[in-house]
Amino acid sequence: MADELYLENIDEFVTDHNRVVTYKWLSYTLGVHVNQAKQMLYDYVERRRKENSGAQLHVTYLVAGNLLQNGHVCHKVAVVREDKLEAMKSKLSTIASVHVYSIQKALLKDSSPLYNTDYDIVKTNLQHCSKFSAIRCAAAVPRTPPDAPRAPAPARSPQRQRDPDATAGTVNGHGPRAAKPPPQQHKGIMGMFAAKAAARPQDTPKEAKAEAKEAPGVSAASSKPPTKNSIMNNFFGKAAMNKLKANSMPEQPKEEKEVVKPSVAVAEPESSPNTVAEKPGKKTESDRIQQKDKKSKTKRADRSDDEEESDPENVKKKRKRIKQLLSDSSDEEDVPPSPTPEEERAPSPPPEPALKTELEPSSTEVSAGGRKRKRKRVLKSKMFIDEEEGCMAPTCGLGRCSSDLDEPRQTRMSNRKAQEQDSTAPPRAAPSALEDPLGAGCRRGVPTAPAALRRLLSDPSHRDPSTLR
Amino acid sequence: MFAEQAAPTAQGLLAPPSAEPPTFPRVAVSGYSDCSQPFQLGERSFARQYAHIYAVRLASMRPSLERRARSRWGNDIAVRRLSELQEGEECCVVGTLFKAMQLQPSILQEISEEHNLVPQPPLPKYIQPSDELMLEDELQRIKLEGAIDVQRLVTGTIVAVYGREQDDGRFLVKDHCFADLPPPLPWSGPSSDRFVLLASGLGLGSVSGEALLSTQLLVDVVTGQLGAEGEQSCAAHITRVILAGNLLSQNTQSRDTLNKAKYLTKKTQAASVEAVKMLDEILLQLCTSVPVDVMPGEFDPTNYTLPQQPLHRCMLPLASAYATLRLVTNPYQASLDGVRFLGTSGQNISDIFKYSSMDDYLEILEWTLLAGHISPTAPDTLGCYPFYKSDPFILTECPHVYFCGNAPHFQSKLLQGKEGQRVLLVTVPDFSATQTACLVNLRDLSCQPITFSSFGADSED
Repeated sequence: MADELYLENIDEFVTDHNRVVTYKWLSYTLGVHVNQAKQMLYDYVERRRKENSGAQLHVTYLVAGNLLQNGHVCHKVAVVREDKLEAMKSKLSTIASVHVYSIQKALLKDSSPLYNTDYDIVKTNLQHCSKFSAIRCAAAVPRTPPDAPRAPAPARSPQRQRDPDATAGTVNGHGPRAAKPPPQQHKGIMGMFAAKAAARPQDTPKEAKAEAKEAPGVSAASSKPPTKNSIMNNFFGKAAMNKLKANSMPEQPKEEKEVVKPSVAVAEPESSPNTVAEKPGKKTESDRIQQKDKKSKTKRADRSDDEEESDPENVKKKRKRIKQLLSDSSDEEDVPPSPTPEEERAPSPPPEPALKTELEPSSTEVSAGGRKRKRKRVLKSKMFIDEEEGCMAPTCGLGRCSSDLDEPRQTRMSNRKAQEQDSTAPPRAAPSALEDPLGAGCRRGVPTAPAALRRLLSDPSHRDPSTLR
Repeated sequence: MFAEQAAPTAQGLLAPPSAEPPTFPRVAVSGYSDCSQPFQLGERSFARQYAHIYAVRLASMRPSLERRARSRWGNDIAVRRLSELQEGEECCVVGTLFKAMQLQPSILQEISEEHNLVPQPPLPKYIQPSDELMLEDELQRIKLEGAIDVQRLVTGTIVAVYGREQDDGRFLVKDHCFADLPPPLPWSGPSSDRFVLLASGLGLGSVSGEALLSTQLLVDVVTGQLGAEGEQSCAAHITRVILAGNLLSQNTQSRDTLNKAKYLTKKTQAASVEAVKMLDEILLQLCTSVPVDVMPGEFDPTNYTLPQQPLHRCMLPLASAYATLRLVTNPYQASLDGVRFLGTSGQNISDIFKYSSMDDYLEILEWTLLAGHISPTAPDTLGCYPFYKSDPFILTECPHVYFCGNAPHFQSKLLQGKEGQRVLLVTVPDFSATQTACLVNLRDLSCQPITFSSFGADSED
């Protein structure tokens, strides 16, 4: 009965599905040794022909043997149709093997269906293509992958430079944050998935650290920016650094303003968005950005859970970036009391998209971590535009009002809005919370925009007006 | 060699399914060592001139040529440099040959405005009756005439000529000789049948698809899926597969980006991308069953100049996961089970073919062995790295198997040398054209071609 099963199977394949059944295809499909598959095919053909001599079956055979050709003995391996089998056998001086190659209903004009069948089945079974073969090679073992850890290494090296900085700054809570970017940066998107999962266990220690952070306050934070500056230099390169410096200028005054707030904000990263305007806004933005970076808009449902847990890290990570940017720009402006992580949360969203949009061109030269940053920035700026409900920066008075720039933003805004309609409530709360800092930032940002910033803002990017906010 | 052993069980599979069919273990590789370190270039600098490679070549081969000259024409012959030549004196001179060919493509002529020449179309052969041979050594050169076949020889060969200088300044050659076979290597080949499959010119990525099934049949025979039990057990004795170049077809070389407008070609992918993916899958099937050495060829994505560096393993992600895949240089030299293999992907032979009257690839292959240099025409007409310390193409030891890939058809010859050298010369045919590969038996240095065929719409073979 087990014997008969394969006959039924072959019958089904050949007659019902009208397939070209090669021995290799049968071997992979039924999971049998190739020689058994060949014998099965032969058995099937014999039985069918015995039962029903008019059976609509065409068979191709494989013939191999020695052939005298051009004066030397050549080993010939040929796939022949049934009608040519005897002719080929007679040509060969010695026959090494004969077996059934394939069975099909229709008469084959050429051998391409045979090739295609084999190609397809091998393609789907590439990982164990020698499983049913008659020869086993003991030497064919996959190499141990020493390359896997090597790939992250280059991305990790810039972060190595951060690590000593982080260890020095554990008081500020940068320790955990520095630890987080490396795993994220070197794996790109996948790293973000992993990092997000890893981020959650880190939440509690981070929160504790964040609270401990407040005590040292500004002074400790101030020690970090210079070192971070150098690290950022390594990351972004000189050209980008100048841009960053110019760009982070508007954030400085905002940072200073927000110094007061962090003490409250940091204590409860999970605090409801309404308690502190900017921080939850940042939090949700960061979460949203992270979510979007992971390219799973469906994850918005999780965001509400993730926000609270991963927010400190995300915000911290963003904060870290912003902080470095801000610290870069500290040369050009009055040096603010270097922002603590909490303070960095405070810098209004406009500075963040400003930073990020400016960072975008520079991030091209950065590794995958920078790329991720770039992605984040894009989303963030768009989201701000969304929540802004059309508060156009040019109207704030910086003198750049290009209506055509608004339109693409509008469409994107509408897209983003549509996407955000699907999200759950907590992300929704963000827009309202964000408007405040945006307005504040807009007001603040305008008078202090220096020439360098204006130069940057004249960059023909559609996102520019958002930076003015 | 397969057929006799396999014949008894040939029809065994024309039967109902039997019990557990046997699985044959692949014969283990007993001794493999890669000897192609001289062909692996590390840091490359092209700031040097090519004169150094000729100087090094002459300096390295001069001693052995002088030895040969003395053994051939007597111990007491005068070996002179060209600067020491005296008119009328019978002496022997060792130097580098240079053949002045009118038809040799010259870029300077092409771009020269005074000539107003249309660029010469590629010809199969560039020889002409008016070609002249010159002998150069470190300082001077002299025109040769006499008992020397001008048409047959090519630039870059180190030769010892015996004759005298005539009054018109030419050297009248009475006899000449080359370095002859290099000293032999000790033989430690296997005592049982071990096979190495040589194939070249798979030509993936070509427009035509007839060769694809033949390639699949080749892979199936080697991996033991095809054939009856006897044949499979013989195939288990194949210890290695060497793919000698041109894994990609010439069709993958055309770059529309050079000719067409950018807006037409912006989104198109290079033809070699698909071809390399196909190559990766084929190599994966082979690598799971047998050690494979992959040599690059003329149309493969690696550097153009000899020695060609191995293909980068990032192009073959699936196959390079296996330790059985070895990406090697062209030329390639390795010791398999005590048998020394040396071979190229055929660029050296086909270049000599273009500039010499020799028509037979096997004859050219033998001639390079006798001349003691794998590729004398490099760097003159064949691209070569500007070596200056040593010329790695000089044959210092006589290999046991000397092959070249991408030949028009299969030929093989067992050459016996005076000092006990035994060399199997094999010209591996282009698989995409001939569907033929070679099986070399390491035990007795015999070679058998293996041909694959399928049925087409018209062929009745």
